[in-house]
Amino acid sequence: MKILLFSVIIALMMPPLIFADETAAVKKDAQQRINAVIDHIRDKSLDKKTRNEKIIAAIAPMFDFSQMAKLSMGKKNWSLMNPAQRQEFIDLFSVRLQESYLEKLDLYTDEEVVVDQAELVKNRIHVSSHLVAKDDKIEMIYKFFKKKNQDWKVYDVEIMGVSIVQTYRSQFAGILKNQSIEDLLQRLRQTGGFTVPTGNY
Amino acid sequence: MLVDNQTNKMQHPGRFVLFVSAILLFFGCSQHNVRPQSSDFNSNTQMEVQAKSDAGPSQTDSENSAIAFQDDEDDGLDNDQDLDAFDDDFDEFEDEFGDEVTTEVFDPLSGYNRFMTGFNDKLYFWVLKPVATGYRWVMPEFARTGIKNFFNNLYFPVRLVNNILQFKFKNAGEETLRFATNSTIGLLGFWDPAKVWFGLEAHPEDFGQTFGVWGFGPGPHIVLPVLGPSNLRDTIGLAPQWIYLNPVNNFSTVYGWTGFEKVEGLEKTETKLGILAIERVNNTSLRLGEYESLKKDAIDFYPFLRDFYEQNRLKEIEE
Repeated sequence: MKILLFSVIIALMMPPLIFADETAAVKKDAQQRINAVIDHIRDKSLDKKTRNEKIIAAIAPMFDFSQMAKLSMGKKNWSLMNPAQRQEFIDLFSVRLQESYLEKLDLYTDEEVVVDQAELVKNRIHVSSHLVAKDDKIEMIYKFFKKKNQDWKVYDVEIMGVSIVQTYRSQFAGILKNQSIEDLLQRLRQTGGFTVPTGNY
Repeated sequence: MLVDNQTNKMQHPGRFVLFVSAILLFFGCSQHNVRPQSSDFNSNTQMEVQAKSDAGPSQTDSENSAIAFQDDEDDGLDNDQDLDAFDDDFDEFEDEFGDEVTTEVFDPLSGYNRFMTGFNDKLYFWVLKPVATGYRWVMPEFARTGIKNFFNNLYFPVRLVNNILQFKFKNAGEETLRFATNSTIGLLGFWDPAKVWFGLEAHPEDFGQTFGVWGFGPGPHIVLPVLGPSNLRDTIGLAPQWIYLNPVNNFSTVYGWTGFEKVEGLEKTETKLGILAIERVNNTSLRLGEYESLKKDAIDFYPFLRDFYEQNRLKEIEE
């Protein structure tokens, strides 16, 4: 009986322990990827195109771009899109995020990124980090979720309290109030024009 | 001179209290408008979805919208190839990005705001950016950072008052220590030894944030000419800041012994605006490129800037 009780208690304690392990692992992985990005930025021997490719190769696997695209579009609008539109939307959206990321890196060249802590928030893991810029600190939170049988992936990034997914959500909702999905895709194809296109897609 | 300034200030508290209570009354009312409006918007979009999925522009009663949405969900699944993934991907995030969560803020001034965003954009590209670029070329970076620090140091009273009004007494103490350190060995605030040597971070707080902490909602979003995105609460917060805690007014109080306030014409509004303009150019010169990059991030610039501002303020108030 005692043994049974003991094992029940152990069993009850297990999930938090497993999660604690995973939280640490996710933090470590994020840390390594961010460090790799910084190494590539500092490596002056690389030409810009190669550098950007390496940066994306280092950081992209951490993100679930299609999940980010879906959440930004929202369930209702997503259900109105056909499979071809969905695929194009995910592609355009991923490229946008990557190009935007690369351009931000160019803007904050000699800044330092510090990964602060990882905490379990319900069934998500929030890894907070900050970028030490010239005169101020820019706080960023990478939000991870876990899909069945897959690794933890980022579904949203919060920069100074501003959620990337949330800002896209309300822009898309606003546009789709008066315009069609096709109009929105057309706009996505045109706008952007970042100075550092990835050119991978 | 010091005494003069203080007696001047002593005449104001009565009016100030009146002003603040007027604001608070106003906000008490405006706050209630925000939520119901947003949920109205939600049911409207649900109606639209229903209309679109019926492949006809027929209008549905908002009472039916919940049921309509259920139907629509099923329709979506029928056309979807990866059926299982579809629901999972969204349902897990219902609390955070669900359709119930408001997607658009209450924005009655959007027409004006869009116009003013465009105006400020032109102002940036035609005036501020060229001036700041030239200024950057002339002034070495350490000087520009120094000037920025100098102005920040002068805003100490704003931060002190608002830290106290938000009951952040430890931060208020740290701010005071920072001010004492930087005004002296920091050479009138041009340098920041408080942070570099003693690790004392600034705790920026303004009246808009204080009102937020006290529980007042942001009110409608307002894009101010020249100053950029704001909302009703933060705009009202600018008034006491300008009248009582303006850096130019403060310089005389704080650095009275320098004899600076004897400079003729300093009390004029033009001079004060001029000094604020210098501050703006200086700060912009340290941040060139950021606005441009932000603009490229947007698909629709005005709502993007608006949400960026409002979400960022919400976080600042929470902290």
